[in-house]
Amino acid sequence: MLKFFLPHKKDNETIILLLRRHPFTIFLKIIFWLMVALLPPVFYGFLVNGDILGDFFTSTIIWPIILLALSIYYLFVWVLIFYSYVDYYLDVWIITTHRIVNIEQAGLFDRVISEQELYRVQDITSEVKGIFPTLINYGTVYIQTAAEQERFTFKQVPNPNEVARKITKLVEDSKRAHQLMVADTINDEKGSI
Amino acid sequence: MYIPLALFYYIYLFFVLAFLLFSFFNLYHIIRFGLPTIFSSALAIFYILVSIIILAISWYYISQVDWKQIIDIQPQFTFK
Repeated sequence: MLKFFLPHKKDNETIILLLRRHPFTIFLKIIFWLMVALLPPVFYGFLVNGDILGDFFTSTIIWPIILLALSIYYLFVWVLIFYSYVDYYLDVWIITTHRIVNIEQAGLFDRVISEQELYRVQDITSEVKGIFPTLINYGTVYIQTAAEQERFTFKQVPNPNEVARKITKLVEDSKRAHQLMVADTINDEKGSI
Repeated sequence: MYIPLALFYYIYLFFVLAFLLFSFFNLYHIIRFGLPTIFSSALAIFYILVSIIILAISWYYISQVDWKQIIDIQPQFTFK
């Protein structure tokens, strides 16, 4: 059974799908930041081997300033790598037996949680667009609802077509159960009259 | 007019403080809103270790610098 802190958990509610972005997306971001981290040694090699500004780096005044700048540079590259992971990890889309929960970390101290009952879902669309998404099979699932937030978007999730199919099945079951519940409630009210 | 080289060191310390604050808030979010798995814990510990390594290497080189030096920013003109 999938475990996650579920806001306003209902009785008999279980998690069916717990989705995050495909790991390839965070892999690309980490590769980008590693390339940024390689820039100073590349520039140093280019400048020193090319005999450009060679004495610059041995100056007793300039070298300490460069040292401090390098330290700040690598500290912030490292913290931004970690921040990319935190942003990836805390964006979660949850499908339970009762509802859809959309948890998005828009930035530090900016967290948005939206949820909607499954029986209110009107339309589900999946999209795979681009070379990497097609080869690795990740994409976007759009869920149209009859609510204040009209559309939920599951971004860069693995296997979006399968996700859309599962949600469609759950929505059908939920609508059937909801109709039966409404009919029972009406019958109970008629019986009491 | 002179600028003490140590001024850049104090500015550096300010950025280190900003880094520590940013790191703290990232770790706070992972611990508070993330699932408490072994992987998450290991990643947080790995992040802290690498941060300490970067700071230790920086400190090793920074401690070798003579921060009492001063930078003369007054332009010096020589007339022939």
